[in-house]
Amino acid sequence: MEEKEKDKKKKKAGGVVGFFRDFTYGMATHGMARHALKTRSSMEHLFILITMGDMLGIPILPPYYSLRLLPHVVPQITTWKRRMLREKDFVDSMY
Amino acid sequence: MNSLWVLLWWVIIVVLGYWVYARHVAKNIFEIDEKRTTPAKMYMDGVDFMPANKNVLYGFQLNSIAGAAPIIGPIVALQWGWVPALLWLGLGVFFIGWLHDFSSAMVSIRNDGDTFGALGYKLISPRARKILLTFIYFYLLLIACAFGHIITSGISGNAALPFPLLVVIAVAFLVGHMIYKARVNIITTTIIAIAVIFFSIWLGTVWNIKLSYNLVLVCLLIFGYFSSILPVWRFIQPYNYSSVYVVYFGIIAGVIGILIGHKPMTLPAFTSWSIGMGPLWPLLFVTIACGAISGWHSLVSSTATSRQIENELDVRPVTGGAMFAEFTISIIAVIVCATAFADKAAYIAKVGNPVGIFVGGLGGAITSIGLPLSYAKALSGMMIIILALTVINLVFRFMKVATAELVGDAMSVAKNPHIATVVALIITFVLIKTGTWLYIWVLFGGANQLMASFALLLVTLFLVQKSKNYKIAIYPMFFMYATTVCALFYTSFFKLIPGALAGKKVFGNLFAAAVAILLIILAIILAYDGWKAFKKHKAGETAAPAEAEKVTA
Repeated sequence: MEEKEKDKKKKKAGGVVGFFRDFTYGMATHGMARHALKTRSSMEHLFILITMGDMLGIPILPPYYSLRLLPHVVPQITTWKRRMLREKDFVDSMY
Repeated sequence: MNSLWVLLWWVIIVVLGYWVYARHVAKNIFEIDEKRTTPAKMYMDGVDFMPANKNVLYGFQLNSIAGAAPIIGPIVALQWGWVPALLWLGLGVFFIGWLHDFSSAMVSIRNDGDTFGALGYKLISPRARKILLTFIYFYLLLIACAFGHIITSGISGNAALPFPLLVVIAVAFLVGHMIYKARVNIITTTIIAIAVIFFSIWLGTVWNIKLSYNLVLVCLLIFGYFSSILPVWRFIQPYNYSSVYVVYFGIIAGVIGILIGHKPMTLPAFTSWSIGMGPLWPLLFVTIACGAISGWHSLVSSTATSRQIENELDVRPVTGGAMFAEFTISIIAVIVCATAFADKAAYIAKVGNPVGIFVGGLGGAITSIGLPLSYAKALSGMMIIILALTVINLVFRFMKVATAELVGDAMSVAKNPHIATVVALIITFVLIKTGTWLYIWVLFGGANQLMASFALLLVTLFLVQKSKNYKIAIYPMFFMYATTVCALFYTSFFKLIPGALAGKKVFGNLFAAAVAILLIILAIILAYDGWKAFKKHKAGETAAPAEAEKVTA
């Protein structure tokens, strides 16, 4: 079983061509993709804050709209909490 | 001696370093376990913590660590001869460089992806975080000055470069707009960008534009201002993206050129134990920073990379592999420059303009693959200037954030991005105009290597805490610490201050000496805190956090 999994991994990696493809992506584009994700994440933080505001005692949106938006927010609450509560320092902002 | 023998040295170091020593350390000291869950998996949030393919991460790590420094450092250090440069590059990367990058990532991975600020706070002392931040600020300032001069002298000394550089900047804006606003397919965008850039390099050889040093410097600072202020997607990212292909092509063409040309090394193998810059030890060891060891890498390894590692088995290829790749770039730099000059005098005449040396060297090597000399030289010049501008792109942005962190609470005006950027630009301008570049380069290397000592100190404390063999980290840490402090001390007290007292560049030399002395004081405080933390960890205790100390007080 383990050997099969290893073979699968090797095939997935795509050999030499796959290496150069991934390597070039890593060099040229991976940083851009990460930054796009970070931008989206900061937007989502704002979205969650707006939606969850009245639950914290700050009525930002009328409850009707909060309840309509709640299903979109619920799946992200765990990672949102983790990101908000994680200690950050200057080095975090560099990469 | 034929330059191909240098490649044999490279092969020995890479094979023994990466496949034997690195494997031994990873397996027996850090006890790499592929079944252990990494922070990327444990805390996956789709943004900072996210597992990535090891080949992608390898490219990302290499792109993040490799600037112009692994090329410039060895070029300047050839003043002592190419044998000392090659020995330090090889032995430095073998015993210290890869270990530093690898272990920085491992320490972060085993501490839930914490950055060095948080790790310094936990493992050394609460004030270690502040010291790190101060280090980083002055390190960034020295980078800005060192690379600012390199870019300015390189562009003002080569009339073929201004036109293609303007085109690259315009292409960067265009690429940003096409990708993010016009939603054009990225492959189409890339093909257009690459074609325009390579064509503009040829046009630059025809349309020469001669610019003065001062004009280029002012343009560079304006460039730095916009890189700091504009959104990252608008300029920095598209610039890095569209220009990376020039660097990629330049390196590949250079390697092929070296193999085909295999010219003899014409510069002397060894010149003297002491030259104008100072004695071989400690000066050579800070002049060549990146390529042998660089403290900057620990920040990348412990921040971005450690949070994306999918499996502990990937740490060695990603971090160690990238370090050996950077070592390779330095080896290329040594070969192309040591084979490009008829004699030492021709090289020494140009040592104040390392870009000029590199352009002549790599340009000559690239002609071996059939490109005309004028185009090959312009391509080499573009490659090194693009690498240096990539650094400038980030430096002022980071300085802006560091200013807000350092003095933002005391002076709210420091939190204003425009003011923080302009202050950083003015300090840089003053130091470039009034300082001596060779000594600023040494200080930059010193700050860089001090960061490496800081990282190795953290690794040592981590290994002590886990009751593992910490000797592999503590001896390199001692070496780097002693070398760096001595280099900073020598440069400030035997070069900068006497120079100022003799009436040469008084302000710049005194300013640079003050920065060096500040770095030495910070290093001494850190050593004291590190020693106390070492004793604590050895006794099985952990450093108490600041809040706890305040409460008990």
